Amino acid sequence: MKLKSPRARFFISIAIGAVLLFISGRVDELRSYQGAQVAIFAIAISSIVLLTGFSGQISLGHGALMAVGGYSAVLVQSHLNLPYPIAFLIGGAVGGAAGFLLGIAAARLQGPYLAGTTLALAVGIPSLANQFHILGGEQGLTFDIGTAPSWIGKDFSQYRWFFWVSVIAALLNYWLLRNLLSTRYGRRWRAVRANPTAAALAGINVGKAKVLAFTLSSAVAGLAGSLYAMLLGLVAPLAFTLTLSFTLITGAVLAGVSNLGGSIVGAVVLVAIPEISGSITSHLGGSEKVTSNLPGLITSVLLVATVLFAPNGPKWPRRKHQ
Amino acid sequence: MTIFFNTLLVGFSSGAIYSLMSLALVLVWRSTRVVNFAAAGQAILSTYIGYEAMKVLHNYWLSIPVALLAGALISAGVEAIVMRPLAKRSKGTPVEAIAPVIATLGILGLIRSGVGLIWGNSFLQYTSPLSSKGYTIGHTTIPFSPLNAAIVIGASVVLAIFAMIFRFTRLGLSLRAASFQPEISRLSGIRVDLIRTIGWAFAGAASAVAGALVTPTTYLSPNSLDLLLVSGFVAAVIGGLESLIGAVVGGLVLGIGFAFILQYIGTSVTFSAAFIILIIVLLLRPQGIFGVRRSREA
Amino acid sequence: MLVQRRTKGGIFAAALTAVATLVASALPAHAETGVSSSTIKLGITVPLTGAAAPGYNKIPAAMKAYFDYVNANGGVNGRKIQLVVKDDAYSPAQTLSVTNDLILKDKVFALVGTLGTANNEATTRLVNSHGVPRLFVNTGFSGFADMKKYPTTFPLFPSYATEAKAMGKYIADNLAGHKVALIYQDDDFGADALKGFATAGTSFVAKIPYSALSQADPSVVGKWVTSIVSAQADTVIMFGVTSATGALAGGLYKAGLIGKVQMILGSVGSDGTTLKGLLGPLAPALAGSIAASFLPSPSDATDEYVNLFKTVNTQYNPGATFDNNVLVGMNTAMLTVQALRAAGTNPTRASLVKAIEAKGSTWASAAFSPILFSAKSHVGYTGYWFGKLGLDGNAVSVDGPGKYTLYTTDSGSAPVVKTAAARPAMPAKGLPNN
Repeated sequence: MKLKSPRARFFISIAIGAVLLFISGRVDELRSYQGAQVAIFAIAISSIVLLTGFSGQISLGHGALMAVGGYSAVLVQSHLNLPYPIAFLIGGAVGGAAGFLLGIAAARLQGPYLAGTTLALAVGIPSLANQFHILGGEQGLTFDIGTAPSWIGKDFSQYRWFFWVSVIAALLNYWLLRNLLSTRYGRRWRAVRANPTAAALAGINVGKAKVLAFTLSSAVAGLAGSLYAMLLGLVAPLAFTLTLSFTLITGAVLAGVSNLGGSIVGAVVLVAIPEISGSITSHLGGSEKVTSNLPGLITSVLLVATVLFAPNGPKWPRRKHQ
Repeated sequence: MTIFFNTLLVGFSSGAIYSLMSLALVLVWRSTRVVNFAAAGQAILSTYIGYEAMKVLHNYWLSIPVALLAGALISAGVEAIVMRPLAKRSKGTPVEAIAPVIATLGILGLIRSGVGLIWGNSFLQYTSPLSSKGYTIGHTTIPFSPLNAAIVIGASVVLAIFAMIFRFTRLGLSLRAASFQPEISRLSGIRVDLIRTIGWAFAGAASAVAGALVTPTTYLSPNSLDLLLVSGFVAAVIGGLESLIGAVVGGLVLGIGFAFILQYIGTSVTFSAAFIILIIVLLLRPQGIFGVRRSREA
Repeated sequence: MLVQRRTKGGIFAAALTAVATLVASALPAHAETGVSSSTIKLGITVPLTGAAAPGYNKIPAAMKAYFDYVNANGGVNGRKIQLVVKDDAYSPAQTLSVTNDLILKDKVFALVGTLGTANNEATTRLVNSHGVPRLFVNTGFSGFADMKKYPTTFPLFPSYATEAKAMGKYIADNLAGHKVALIYQDDDFGADALKGFATAGTSFVAKIPYSALSQADPSVVGKWVTSIVSAQADTVIMFGVTSATGALAGGLYKAGLIGKVQMILGSVGSDGTTLKGLLGPLAPALAGSIAASFLPSPSDATDEYVNLFKTVNTQYNPGATFDNNVLVGMNTAMLTVQALRAAGTNPTRASLVKAIEAKGSTWASAAFSPILFSAKSHVGYTGYWFGKLGLDGNAVSVDGPGKYTLYTTDSGSAPVVKTAAARPAMPAKGLPNN
């Protein structure tokens, strides 16, 4: 069995999953929560890698697509009483549908115009929740997937359960995307990103490829949004700010924007920064001015430094055909 | 009828501010083909510097040139220290198109956190001697005050100056040439790198003026220009990034459209309104109102 | 023989149990999370950065100042109070992250004064599953008084529905026949208010909803003004945060309506000092506005609580102007100290909750409203007084300085009752002795 074949990847993913789940029983609740955060961010970042790193389109509004997925999952569970795994999948599906519409518009728009549209989207979509009462308004809708099933064992804290669910979803997502990117779709996207004119001349339907990429990327973002809702226990407009969209891009760049495996690295860095800056400020002792602005400062400096010195991400073992 | 007229006036004055911001963005685009998301950040930093100047000089009018100069220097600095090396290093890599976007986003965050760190998170008063009470015509007071007039005049002056520079001076010609065909421009003796930095400096000055003019109508805090970030960019896109006139028209379209949507549909749709206007415009003209359709650009 | 053996075994077991119980009761009680022999750790989440921060970011420092004062005078049953402050930038996602830190890493005993409706909602599951008491949450959302959903949460401020009903009564008594317009946020904050006004039977010539935080856009404010003008309203109720009040004042000034339109400000948006800071030279535009509050005016020099808090502020919170935010913070801190004292010499989370339910209604606080905490209710304050803003931005009671008439009611359909305000006397030197 070749190491790169889908079958091999599948077993490797299972192995990684098993190791992680084993570890989860040994760490405290806070780390479980953070682990779940990392897994969810990794999924969200992978959606950016797919869209930007592979098909060359930019979106500043993926936070809004996460919101679409999150709200869909919550609504479906509370109004239709569907079990939460289905709710997650529907969150992804609705996100994908939104991405399809957006992708059609996006295919006609060039770089900065697309950026502008997605920027307006990031601000406009979450505030729609205030328009329609069914969307819960400012304080949002609660989302409860319940605790771990009894057959898993006792002493399974809520956060550990979230960690399991998120990790399983992240592994599945990674496996699916990795396989997809090594098919002809992946090759088409890379061709479009590198040189759309040449790609078109080579017979690739550029518009179609772009729309497909946008749709899939949004579906992944929608899935991430549903899991995010699970973790927070609610969806609310304020949970999906413009900052979230910018954070996703930051994570993607830190990882190497065309490096799918790097999504984890980006996610870890994003979750680690507030922790690290918190330790720094508690050791140095700072005024409130410092403590509240330091995380943002560190993230921004990191972002600028990364894009300046390592635009393709840190020296991560890279595949030849990237 | 009065409501219609008043709404028009309200939209006109906010549109003037959006125009200044979008002008700054278009200037950068036309000289370096980069969208500068840090523009709002540069604006707030320049405004804080103007605020400090006012504390020292006790004069609002004198603080504006200080803010303007600060804006120009900051912007030029960003271009020379970050954007230029970035362009060289990302050439030919997969991230070439988005690297500038990301870098400017990073700089935006950096400036915002930095401002909060230095000046704190509370709000400050940056007052102008102009009254914000509307002019009275006969018995009615219209929602257009001397402060608004200053905004409109300021925006017009900036536009006029830049339009003249671009069209009638050698510098303007060099700016336009350097952005379209950098290699050929270099061959004709134009110092492309310097020209680009100058373009950024102009943009920095424009956004600084926007900040200094609009802040007296509200208050000064690290987040007070946040809305301007989105509005300015949307306005630039609506107008088409290729023309200065487009920047102004885009700003006015957004400002007036905004005011009318809010007036006749309701203020609950505030944040979605920008998106709605943008979608409508781009559906009809994907390159913006005055934009030029380029064939096959990544 | 069998019976004998069984009985012997039974007696042996009983004796063993008795001894074990005696031994166990003599052991020191297992220390509760966040409580050590010398400290009690409390946590608070508040927007320190971001658009919602102005004003509220002063509250934690004020609370800390009062705690420092109490610590310097013996603390609580010999323990010093520590307050861990976290910024949530008004984002519920961040609130949950930092509250995870507070409860799981910093291991605080209880949360106090946490701000924001969605923000508190986000931490409910965590707080409930760990039984962490959440004292005196900083929001008027009436939902948090639901004891079944939030068994360890104690709101303090009167709900917005209560406030709206009180305002409705004030208008009916003093401004009958006027054309009233209402500006409110299009979310639960505003919905709560609408509910209250409906119960009070107030009719409006214009109802103007707006999205929270959109008051920063001049077109939004322009719309408010044109709606007011076209409905020919002579009175306008501003049910929003302080920056919205400031925006409205600016808009009315611009339209030349100051003096022609009477403003009525909700308690959330009527902090004089913040408004002065926001409006600068325009601050006098607010003079004459009617404001609802439940705490005394920060400028009332005859009020014993105000004077004490001012002294504490000068000594332990240097550099901070004494305003409504400081007053709110210190008042909450004073109630917290009384709660901690009542929780006993070996406080547990459960004993803290029980103490508030049992004795909370008797405690001293600066508010003129009774406190309704009981084993059956987690409702805190229930009433307001009305004042007129002076040129300095501070409110003076409409009945004259120092004379407060209280309007009390509930979030439901009970009528509004007017009484002369009375409250427990302040303990000596402002140090609780409950």
